[in-house]
Amino acid sequence: MAAGPYNYSYIFKYIIIGDMGVGKSCLLHQFTEKKFMADCPHTIGVEFGTRIIEVSGQKIKLQIWDTAGQERFRAVTRSYYRGAAGALMVYDITRRSTYNHLSSWLTDARNLTNPNTVIFLIGNKSDLEAQRDVTYEEAKQFADENGLMFLECSAKTGDNVEDAFLDTAKKIYQNIQDGSLDLNAAESGVQHKPATPRNPINTDQAPIDKGCAC
Amino acid sequence: MTDRDGATTTDSASSSAANPLSRKLNKILETRLDNDKEMLESLKALSTFFNENSLRTRRNLRSDIERRSLSINEEFLQTFQGVKEQLDSVYADVKAMNDCCQDMTSRLKAAKEQTHDLISQTTKLHAESQKVQMKLQVADVFLDKFQLKPNEVKALRGNRDGSLSQEFFNSLNKVKTIHNDCKILLRTNQQTAGLEIMEAMALHQESAFERLYRWTQNECRTLTGDSPDISPMLCQSMEALQDRPVLFRYSLDEYGTARRTAVVRGLIDALTRGGPGGTPRPIELHSHDPLRYVGDMLAWLHQAAASEKEYVHSLLKKCAVTTEQVQDILGHITEGVCRPFKVRVEQVLVSEQDAVTLYKLNNLLKFYHNTIGQIVNKEASLLTTITEIQDLSHRMFFNSLNCHANKLLDKVELPPADLSTPAALSQTMQLLKDVLACHDASVVAIDDKKQDFKQILSCIVDPLVQMCSVSASRLNAIDMACYMINCIYIMQTTLSLYEFTDTRLEMLQAQVEAQLDTLVNEQAAMVLNRVGLAEAYKMVQAYQPKQGPLSSLQGMDAGTLKSAMMQFDSFLANPDALVLPQCSLILSARIRESIKKRSMELINESYRLLFDRIKNPANEYKEPQGIVPRTPDQVMKLLQY
Repeated sequence: MAAGPYNYSYIFKYIIIGDMGVGKSCLLHQFTEKKFMADCPHTIGVEFGTRIIEVSGQKIKLQIWDTAGQERFRAVTRSYYRGAAGALMVYDITRRSTYNHLSSWLTDARNLTNPNTVIFLIGNKSDLEAQRDVTYEEAKQFADENGLMFLECSAKTGDNVEDAFLDTAKKIYQNIQDGSLDLNAAESGVQHKPATPRNPINTDQAPIDKGCAC
Repeated sequence: MTDRDGATTTDSASSSAANPLSRKLNKILETRLDNDKEMLESLKALSTFFNENSLRTRRNLRSDIERRSLSINEEFLQTFQGVKEQLDSVYADVKAMNDCCQDMTSRLKAAKEQTHDLISQTTKLHAESQKVQMKLQVADVFLDKFQLKPNEVKALRGNRDGSLSQEFFNSLNKVKTIHNDCKILLRTNQQTAGLEIMEAMALHQESAFERLYRWTQNECRTLTGDSPDISPMLCQSMEALQDRPVLFRYSLDEYGTARRTAVVRGLIDALTRGGPGGTPRPIELHSHDPLRYVGDMLAWLHQAAASEKEYVHSLLKKCAVTTEQVQDILGHITEGVCRPFKVRVEQVLVSEQDAVTLYKLNNLLKFYHNTIGQIVNKEASLLTTITEIQDLSHRMFFNSLNCHANKLLDKVELPPADLSTPAALSQTMQLLKDVLACHDASVVAIDDKKQDFKQILSCIVDPLVQMCSVSASRLNAIDMACYMINCIYIMQTTLSLYEFTDTRLEMLQAQVEAQLDTLVNEQAAMVLNRVGLAEAYKMVQAYQPKQGPLSSLQGMDAGTLKSAMMQFDSFLANPDALVLPQCSLILSARIRESIKKRSMELINESYRLLFDRIKNPANEYKEPQGIVPRTPDQVMKLLQY
């Protein structure tokens, strides 16, 4: 428990959305386990992963909800947008159709999350350069036009995966610092843990007589 | 003077040796004065006082010498007297010293005798002291190991405000260690000490645990925020409380109760308040959209359950707990939301009429039953609540389907004149399609799906077939067959698009086959009738050789047969001219074809029978070739085109 009385000072809730097969679960797995899951089964409904990261010296716990891309789950997954502080919107750079559907995903994300939710666009499978179907520039322009953050990543090689998750967290943290994100409101997707416990116990008298006791 | 005397004596001695005088003289003369130191000394001494050689002095010499000797002796005596006195005093001194020494020796002796005891006592005491010293050390070590230090006792008592410190836990651990070590003591011959210390430690432990429990209880009570702030000390408390399972469980219960309150409040907030500035909007704003309303609630519950699981794990990260225990706590935590959730969903279900929506809700509930079932255990009331609601939705869905079916049977329409399917049938098929489609889009396991399908199909198809039969009951056999075929055909085409309908399709197919047979027979009979072969065919079928040759029977003469065969031949030229008018109303081209083909086969069979009999010489037809110019195979070919 090196950093203060708690393991982390904030909890950020993320949601990962995008068409089926773009690699949402693989991105999550790469981020939480630092491994590539080769034959990842289709996600049923929603799955859940966590990891503690550090932003500006603050420990932050990311609570990530990975949704199923299949259309039949759309009704279910829509219910998970509420209260997300960050939304990672994923497409597959080798399949244009997944890119074309982004506007529908974006509409969902805008309608179902709060205005401060940070939306991060991820072009996955950047390792498959030979099969590229969507140029970086095109996607970048789309992101700029819609005020999204953007990176191309590879869940397979792990390239840029950390950055995508961390940059989102940095942006959210910045919003908190700016005061544009109201932590007191429910379902902001962010929970703050006080740096010191409200009970004035012992923190000042940390480990003292360790060792002396027999 | 002596020398002179001597010299004279010596002279006389030599002359008369035998004479004492001469001897004396000789002796004197023989005396060697030079070597006689005594003589020399005496003479030297004499010369000091014999200054005046006179008669008187010579006469007095002797007395002088004697007197002198006397005085010398006196002087010697006197001097010696002094020496003697001195010696006497020395003697006295020495004696005194001796006495003193004697005294001292005796005193020393006495003292020695006296101190002997003391010394031995001292030695004894010293040894004892060493032993005691050793004991002291042992005792110190013992105390260190088996007793609490004052500051530790103080730490165990805690602060006045009931708060705890790290020292508290250290002391508690020490108490525990001591208590355990006492078991070793009990095995040795220090049983009394062991028991007493054990008892003392048990007392310490009891009061400490009580304090710890009270603190933990209070701490847990405060954890009612959106996300609980679980301090490391609380984790430590839970770890320590594991030694008191009852207190541990009570603390967990306390935690669960606090979290339960928090979760209920969270749900109510999400339902009624929504996010910051109303985005996301409160869930209840969507209550007009049952699927979204229920789906949002379930998703919220799923997320809450998953988060709570994380919190429980972080609370118990230092404890050895089983998955079941965690699930138990989660069950307790999620218990509170059951009622508000159930009330709302029940309201939705009860007021919902639409079977498709009900079915979607049912599937949604099934999905979440499965999803949330991965977090909490089967016994959790959240899960049983979902099961109950799911059962209700299941019932409501089938109620709705049954309602629909009853309506179908309540007002049976007459079949349309063109024998096409009634509107109710297509509506019901649309409903079935919609239901099965949402089943297709649903998220439940295959087994459930199969079970549902069976029930849904029997709920819809059976009454539907029944309705069609009732509606067809006033029609003649051919119309009925066509109408039923059409109705069933519609059902089949719908069902064949979905999985798990095979048995049902088979049953329907059997019904179609029965109707098909009717139509085939009717079609064939009509053709035979029209060409005038029906009668002949019947007779041939009933013919027995004992009746005599076939040609002799009435109506079987060559002329009648020949004219009939000519008509048959003209039919063969255009087989499509003689088709049941109803057959063309059959929707399925395949069935129409099948009726045609099978009726033609039947006609051909009849022809073959007639042909064989006419050709048979036993039947005594004179010119069989003239009656039946075509072989059955030729007929078959013609019929097929």
